[in-house]
Amino acid sequence: MINRRKLVQNSGIVSLAPFLPAFLHNSVQGDEKENAALRDEKKLLVVIQLTGGNDGLNTVIPYDNELYQRHRPSLGIPADRVLKINSQIGFHPSMRAAADLLESGRLSIVQGVGYPNPNRSHFESMAIWHHAHVDSRHHDGNGWLGRSFDYGTSVDGATDATVAVGDAQIPAAIRGRRAKAIALAALDDLKLMSAINAPKQNDYQGALASFVARTIQHSYQVSKDWEAEGTEGAAQYPATKLAGDLRLAAQLIKSGAGSRVYYASQPGYDTHAVQARTHGDLLREFSEALKAFLDDMQDSGLDDRVLVLAFSEFGRRVTENGSSGTDHGAAGPVFLAGKHIAAGCVGSHPSLVDLLDGDLKMSIDFRQIYASLLEQWLGIESKRVLSQVYTQLPILKA
Amino acid sequence: MSWEPYTPTSDQPWDSRRTVHLHRRTVFGACWAEIERDLEGDPQDAITRVLQGKNRLGGLRPNFESKSRLICNTALDTGSVDRLAAWWIFRCLHSPFPLEERLTLMWHNHFATGADKVGNLRLMYRQNEVFRKHSQSQFGALLTNMNEDPALLVWLDAPLNKAGRPNENLAREIMELFALGIGHYTEQDIQEAARALTGSTVKQLKYHFNQSAHDKGEKEILGERGHWTPQDLPQILLQREAASKRIAWRLVSEFFGEGVVSSELRDELAAGLRSNGLSIAWGVETILRSMLFFSDANIQSRVCDPVSFVISTIRSLELWENAPSTLAMAVWIKRMGQQLFQPPNVGGWSGGRAWLSTKSVITRSNFASVISEHVNAQTTAPTDQINSLRLLLGGGEVSTNARDANSEEINWLHELLANPNAFLH
Repeated sequence: MINRRKLVQNSGIVSLAPFLPAFLHNSVQGDEKENAALRDEKKLLVVIQLTGGNDGLNTVIPYDNELYQRHRPSLGIPADRVLKINSQIGFHPSMRAAADLLESGRLSIVQGVGYPNPNRSHFESMAIWHHAHVDSRHHDGNGWLGRSFDYGTSVDGATDATVAVGDAQIPAAIRGRRAKAIALAALDDLKLMSAINAPKQNDYQGALASFVARTIQHSYQVSKDWEAEGTEGAAQYPATKLAGDLRLAAQLIKSGAGSRVYYASQPGYDTHAVQARTHGDLLREFSEALKAFLDDMQDSGLDDRVLVLAFSEFGRRVTENGSSGTDHGAAGPVFLAGKHIAAGCVGSHPSLVDLLDGDLKMSIDFRQIYASLLEQWLGIESKRVLSQVYTQLPILKA
Repeated sequence: MSWEPYTPTSDQPWDSRRTVHLHRRTVFGACWAEIERDLEGDPQDAITRVLQGKNRLGGLRPNFESKSRLICNTALDTGSVDRLAAWWIFRCLHSPFPLEERLTLMWHNHFATGADKVGNLRLMYRQNEVFRKHSQSQFGALLTNMNEDPALLVWLDAPLNKAGRPNENLAREIMELFALGIGHYTEQDIQEAARALTGSTVKQLKYHFNQSAHDKGEKEILGERGHWTPQDLPQILLQREAASKRIAWRLVSEFFGEGVVSSELRDELAAGLRSNGLSIAWGVETILRSMLFFSDANIQSRVCDPVSFVISTIRSLELWENAPSTLAMAVWIKRMGQQLFQPPNVGGWSGGRAWLSTKSVITRSNFASVISEHVNAQTTAPTDQINSLRLLLGGGEVSTNARDANSEEINWLHELLANPNAFLH
């Protein structure tokens, strides 16, 4: 059998043309051209789920508060190592990339986010965040983003509304009763195993057959571009799982895939024991992947369309446990990132005195963030998705 | 054009294109001997063979049912959704009655239930057997069975629906998706139907009516007042004209391409269903025998679903012995966007053009590549065989430049299996 990679790289059959925006693609004609142009103006949301319950207190650190060191005798980060945000709080030292994003006006920290009567079960609390309902009777597998796209906001009927990148199964958050969600694992799914000619459109008459021919042409083109980029490495991403998943999302966005939500997960935050090193590594992976993705969007001229939300199902107990780890807690920080984000902090750091069963109290309901994203960014009526009106936050630059 | 039975005319002759169309659209494609046989005879006889499960000549297995049972039991023991899907693929590929499998798939899509949430593969399997058993029954039998189907009840939160604490999930989908369609009920009807359904639950993997959770009060559903129980709801819905229209819609969207059937003709089919006790068999037979089904507008007018794409490929190449395993096929089909027993949501697969995303097109092409390598290793293809294959695969072109410049590199069979016409049926 032929060497596929060699063929793809050297043969004239498969050109190595750089990415073309979908609306310039020569196969797109007529009203599909308009659709593509319209689609290219749509705002996109990228979600990063920090799975397992991120220790928010060691992520955005109240370094100036003596109670912090007292609650965290072995896990506390010394004030001089914290990457200072202001005179009270700072990032974990492994979050240099996040600090850079803040400095370049592309990161916002929403503090003390949670919901009333916090549930400390991973499964239940994640279901609450996914469904945007605290009552488990509403946990029917159709999440807030799936519901957002149930009623015809997609421009092109053949487009997936939501895409889960990575090898996890499709999260409830992006499933809807009607919205189309797919999962895409990096690498394999977009690679042609052997070279093949795209069909010639003239051979296929009729609306449907020529649609199929065009779709095949377009898909092969995306595959070739994916392969080309893979070897040339135009965008710089760290060699981590999350970065790979975000890179795939970036690739899809650049190819004009048309989906409006991309969903990535980073597991591992359930740090019950000896967490210091693990947690630092996770935060570094997260921050660096996020920055690489946003830089890629910026370099591709797509940063006007992209906003990132990063959340975890709960924070962790204020007082560390006996095994240099932390147990399940309540409120924590949520990150919003992108060119149009109002950079800085929203809300204040939760009190270390006024606790709820040893956990940080929430001051901002996560559904306020959802409502703000839906209304201000995605242009979707939030009440329809969230069943009620939540007070919005000023998340975008004025 | 109408529901009149098809008779060949000079404009619409009984030719290989129409013969292939019958097989591709209804029974996952054909092997060449089946086409030759049908071409020589009367078209209505060919349709009768499809309706009665006598159409297949190739790929039949001795002791099919006992083999099927064995594969199924193994799948259930492992608890693997992929393996249960492989069992179903085995049936689609080798069953003497492929139309039954096609209709079972149609009902799985109609009452779309997902294994993940149900959490018990055995319940998924049992539901599948109900779809098969009632695939051509009166629709009422199917609906009443589904109204008490453990997998469906878990899927739609029926156990959470209790007197005083209603959960509308099941009631809403029964009205909106399964029986009536949007616009034929009010939100009030859904709330009342949810009350009627309280008490329906699942106990020890079986349907159970929990008296104490049932709302015994009076309900008014679609204008009818009574102390309705879960068992009353399907009966109320089946009387509605909307139910016949919903079934007509389902059958039309299964067997016709985009825009082939006007709303008037669909209503005519619905009226026929009403005078035939909502018999699915009547509806399917009326459709398959019709002029409309064999009209030019209906041929090659749908993007075929992944199950059809994969199985018609195998059948047209007659890869009975050396085919990839059915488990491998199930995984290919899943990657093409149709994970059996795991539909994307309760609305089922969107189907149509939505089958083709970048990922699914690449996967179809890769499947074609694997199959063509497989075949080339064993046979060389004479021209008449290539031509038969072209017909069996919907009549695609192999581009000439493939053979000109790169005859070594580009596999003609790969190109034929992955050409746009092969993606249609």
